[in-house]
Amino acid sequence: MKLPKIRELLEAIKALIVGPYTSKFPYKPHIPHPNFRGQPIYNPDKCVGCLACEEVCPSEAIGHEDITDDSEPRRLMIHYTDTCIFCGSCEAACIADNEGIKQSNDWELSFFDRKEAQETIEKELQLCEICGEVIACKDHLKWISEKIGELAYSSPSLYFSRLKSLGIIDENIISAVRDSGRSDRVKILCARCRRETTLTTR
Amino acid sequence: MTREEILNDLKERFKNDIIDLLDKSPKRVYIEIKPESLVKVATYIFKDLEARFNTASGVDARTHIEIIYHFSIEYLNVLISLRVKLDRKNPAIDSLAQVFKGANWIEREMYELLGIDFRGHPDLRRLLLADAWPEGVYPLRSDYKEWDKKAIRDRGV
Amino acid sequence: MPKSVIPIGPYHPLQEEPEFFTLTVDGETVVDIDVQVGYNHRGIEKLSERRTFDQSTFVIERICGICSTSHPFAYTRAVEDIIPVEVPERAKYIRTIIAEGERIHSHLLWLGLAGHFLGYNTLYMWVWKLREEILDVMEILSGNRNNYAMFKPGGVRRDIKSEDIPLVIKKIDSIVPTLDRLKKAILDDPVLHARLKGIGILTREDAIDYGALGPTSRASGVAKDVRKDAPYGAYDKVEWDMIVTETGDVFEKVIVRVLEVYESIKIMKTCLLNLPEGEIDLNIKDIPPGEGIGSAEAPRGETFHYVRSDGTNRPARHKVRAPTFMNLPTFKVTVIGETISDATIILAAIDPCYCCTERMAVRNTKGKKIYHGQDLIRLSQEKTEHIKRKMGIK
Repeated sequence: MKLPKIRELLEAIKALIVGPYTSKFPYKPHIPHPNFRGQPIYNPDKCVGCLACEEVCPSEAIGHEDITDDSEPRRLMIHYTDTCIFCGSCEAACIADNEGIKQSNDWELSFFDRKEAQETIEKELQLCEICGEVIACKDHLKWISEKIGELAYSSPSLYFSRLKSLGIIDENIISAVRDSGRSDRVKILCARCRRETTLTTR
Repeated sequence: MTREEILNDLKERFKNDIIDLLDKSPKRVYIEIKPESLVKVATYIFKDLEARFNTASGVDARTHIEIIYHFSIEYLNVLISLRVKLDRKNPAIDSLAQVFKGANWIEREMYELLGIDFRGHPDLRRLLLADAWPEGVYPLRSDYKEWDKKAIRDRGV
Repeated sequence: MPKSVIPIGPYHPLQEEPEFFTLTVDGETVVDIDVQVGYNHRGIEKLSERRTFDQSTFVIERICGICSTSHPFAYTRAVEDIIPVEVPERAKYIRTIIAEGERIHSHLLWLGLAGHFLGYNTLYMWVWKLREEILDVMEILSGNRNNYAMFKPGGVRRDIKSEDIPLVIKKIDSIVPTLDRLKKAILDDPVLHARLKGIGILTREDAIDYGALGPTSRASGVAKDVRKDAPYGAYDKVEWDMIVTETGDVFEKVIVRVLEVYESIKIMKTCLLNLPEGEIDLNIKDIPPGEGIGSAEAPRGETFHYVRSDGTNRPARHKVRAPTFMNLPTFKVTVIGETISDATIILAAIDPCYCCTERMAVRNTKGKKIYHGQDLIRLSQEKTEHIKRKMGIK
């Protein structure tokens, strides 16, 4: 019986010298290991607003809201931090080289009101120039046209958005083209309107 | 006995009971049997072949209800699945709980989730569902509709 | 003599099934026990049918917080059985490492709580400190202390960085000396012997009849372990021993778990040192129609998953059988005939969850007194004190 007690005593003395294993969290910030998977954070410069992350999220912690009745149509990408399970599926599915949304080391998520538990970024939205339907985010169209290279010239919507983003064309040039007839073909259109303009001859 | 011998033995011994024998892979064998011969075949596999009863999976396959009884024979590394197909209108089958106690709970579970009646079960009552759950509503049936209109539906649910 | 009924439960939220026990006691002795489960039934099987094969992994992972790897392990094996494919070698090793780390921390968690129930709080704190080390290892390897999110059908999501391996091995090695001392402390302690030996015996026949699994059955001499019988992952590539003991009482269950921690450390170290190079993921795109069965040895026993696919991207049926589902009914044979103060440790011996014990309510129908979980633990601890006094130990 003496032997176990001596072992316990040794352990106790060791613990006295080394101190407790736990970190003194509220008084000192706790820094996790760099490998720690914490809360995902959007990178507004890299994110293209394609909604791939929303599609794969197993806990539906990512949502979006399209604001189109404004002068500046935009898409709000919303990450609900309260339902997020930090699985990293969003990062793995991100089309922008997995950099549009990235898991950080952040783990302090406490809040008083559940409505605060969300983070949003805004992305500029491209609307159809005829019907006003949402096509995609401007950055997304740019990303596609860069991705498919010269094939982008097969789709006016794609190459116009690309040329616009490069600053090569502006509204003056487009309106000049418009006056020379068939102006509906030189517009950024949604798939349905594109089909209609191609099929109908005026 | 080797794996081949056991399969041939089963085929021979229960040739009137086996409808189909699918040798899917070295580790997986699916045997479809007549529902009325389940106790006979399962007892033989459990007692004589010294298999371990893993569990049973009830599946609503829309046209019929299937129960798949999984037995693993450890010394051969084979998993035998006995499949029975039951009538969807009135699913009922003999209970295995008298043969080995491990089947007691899983039959209670299938009874409440799929509405299968196990004849001769010693203690056939609800296992998992709440007491307020209405009678005759079976959540794992393919035609299950949510009945609780007051249930809170939040984002992510 | 009038019999009293003692209700225990119902909340037991750590394991898959929270339980409500009704103990019928005659004086001190338990004469009958009934178990009622389902208080934490979350409809995971139904939920899984609404998620894609990939997303289901995360739902499945949250069935249990402690053995959060064994469920995805069995599930991914079931999905791979549908196709069928073999995952890359490196993925197999990584899966094994994560599964074994989980086993170590789960067994240590159990050991600490068992100590707490017996009034051996030194053991409780000691073991849980040791467990922190393993949780840190898991954080380094997978990025989280629990719910590792490493598994996906066809491989693993995250690679183990080679620069992390030396630190991880150092940390694993550092727990061995403490574990040695711990093992000796348990084996030497006459009080633990007096409290645990010969109680809650599960005989070999009962273990087979009930289909008991994992350490619960191995302590009863049933040498069944999925890792040995149907090797998966890298278990057939490393050397390790299955721990089997004979009598099946609570003490043997403690011994099995402590020795299994050593085996797990051995497996984990071998896998980390021999981690093969190569791909970690097969990038499975489509799951064909069919059915698949997968099983994995969780810390508590075999986890069993049956998945049926109809060719869409969602499972048509997903059956989950957790080990406690088979282990729990064995209470019927282990608790009956024992005293109430032993009931806590016997109920704990199959390693269900412990949150419940905080909410146990003991009601003596004849008297007026109402006990709570704390009182039950106190009863158990008082018995230990009593034994100590009898043995002349202060």
